[in-house]
Amino acid sequence: MIWLSSRWKIAIMSAPALIVFTALIVYPVIYSAGYSLTDFAGFGDPAFVGLKNYIDLGNDPFFWSSLRNTIIILVVSLVILVPGSFGLALLLRRRFPGGGALRALVFAPTIIAPILVGLIWVFILDPKIGLLDRLFGALGLPQPEWIGGNILTPYSVALVFIWGSVGFAMTIFYAGLQQLPADILEASSLDGASGWKQLIYITVPLMKESFAIAAVLLITNVFKIFELVFVLTNGGPVHRSETLVSYMYFITFNNQQYGSGMALAVIITVLGAVVSLGYLLLLRGRKSA
Amino acid sequence: MSATTSTLGRRSRRRTGGIVAGIAAYLITFLILLPILWIVLLSFQSSEKILSNPLDLSSLSLLNYVHTITSLPLAQMYGNTILLAVVSVTIGTAISFMVSFALTRMIFRRRRLQSGLRFYLLAGLAVPVYILLFPVYRLDLALGVFGSYAALIIPYVGVSIPFNTLLLTGFLRDLPTEIEEAAIIDGAGLTRLIWSVVLPVMRPVIATVLIFNVVYVFNEFPFASILINNPDMTTVSLAVSQFQGQYSVDYGGMMAAATLVLLPQLVIYAIFQKQVIAGMTAGAVKG
Repeated sequence: MIWLSSRWKIAIMSAPALIVFTALIVYPVIYSAGYSLTDFAGFGDPAFVGLKNYIDLGNDPFFWSSLRNTIIILVVSLVILVPGSFGLALLLRRRFPGGGALRALVFAPTIIAPILVGLIWVFILDPKIGLLDRLFGALGLPQPEWIGGNILTPYSVALVFIWGSVGFAMTIFYAGLQQLPADILEASSLDGASGWKQLIYITVPLMKESFAIAAVLLITNVFKIFELVFVLTNGGPVHRSETLVSYMYFITFNNQQYGSGMALAVIITVLGAVVSLGYLLLLRGRKSA
Repeated sequence: MSATTSTLGRRSRRRTGGIVAGIAAYLITFLILLPILWIVLLSFQSSEKILSNPLDLSSLSLLNYVHTITSLPLAQMYGNTILLAVVSVTIGTAISFMVSFALTRMIFRRRRLQSGLRFYLLAGLAVPVYILLFPVYRLDLALGVFGSYAALIIPYVGVSIPFNTLLLTGFLRDLPTEIEEAAIIDGAGLTRLIWSVVLPVMRPVIATVLIFNVVYVFNEFPFASILINNPDMTTVSLAVSQFQGQYSVDYGGMMAAATLVLLPQLVIYAIFQKQVIAGMTAGAVKG
């Protein structure tokens, strides 16, 4: 199509997206990285302070507790979500009446605005008005502080995250199961492999790719958790339940310590990029395999 | 004889297995939907009942809804959000399509530049929006659009480009070019080619892009929370974050408001289910 590809036609087609992308995504990343090296507090000229903001974060106990909470959420969600949603995909792959409708319903929580997901779960986890402690009370069990206490909050956030992601992860596994070569499964069941054996020795190894993709997408999503914490506890009490992103939001927009907030934003971005890079390497491995 | 009974036995075992699996699937789906059903139930209870005995089905009423609809500017919230969604999604999809067409169909003098530019745009997928919040806020101030709808439309367009490009270039790469070549030989110019040949075949993927982006704008909270300071411009997700303060002890009202936001989302999802799922899992399938 060389005759449609004059230089100015290419420019007209590409320029709008490239300009908007550069101005709204690339420039801000550079800008944030630059500001993370200053003491900017919203007024006056930012003064260059080198790596001070990063060093201060290293000495900030709330940074470490928000990192710890993020890691707790990450580990708990992965350990429960990956096998759980894979099992659910296996279950929903079987034929029974209404199966298609069930798959659609299971996905539903994924499309609800995260801010609304948080609000819904306040009415389940809140120690005063929540469903869960009411049930525990009725059964004569202790009524722990699911949110707002000192210990359980990150686990509760993980639970809410799992609820919001289970349909998403299930759909990835379901798509993977649909692409399994039917002849291998058939051959293995003719050879007498049945049930668990087939699952462990045939299906799971063939699904390696889906497992990796689901895991990586879930990890990147955990690094983005913000609204859930914002609504459930707003990071409290005294920042004990912050995640990296919610703490960054607090430093930047509540405390207006823009320099230090941007330093944390850079750290979050680098963590996310490391994971994404792992993802890309993984895909490359897949192509050469 | 024994062979027949064993096949029969196996078949009936398989059937019981199927029934058990079916029941389990229904049960798990019910558990997943329980939180949604719970807030819908609470939305019909008075606040006192929510604290004392929320399961009392005899005291359900529509009072919360009457109160919420009269006190909450629902139409305005939805109007604002729809306006933002329509403008930003139209611009975002249009410019992403244009660049995707250039990157997959047009011939660059330097091939390297072409694949390099695609990679440049796709690298945006790795950028979390949180690092953009403060710079975009400053950019809006500098451009003098802070406090207007443009303050949000601009970043929404920007953020949508990497994902749209991923989907659109992926689709265009797999699409055979014969028909387009035939159209060019028949004398179609660039505009004609795009409007009457390329866009019609791209309908499914464009539908996926549009719906995914609309869902994004409806659910978007971080940008809205920083870039909107005028109560008349409140979006749906921003309003939800204010329910807790607004209805501090009126739990019934809060639940009615939440239900009124939730239900349209679920209805839209029910209608466009296939495209929504395709859009949200596209990253996984396309790589």
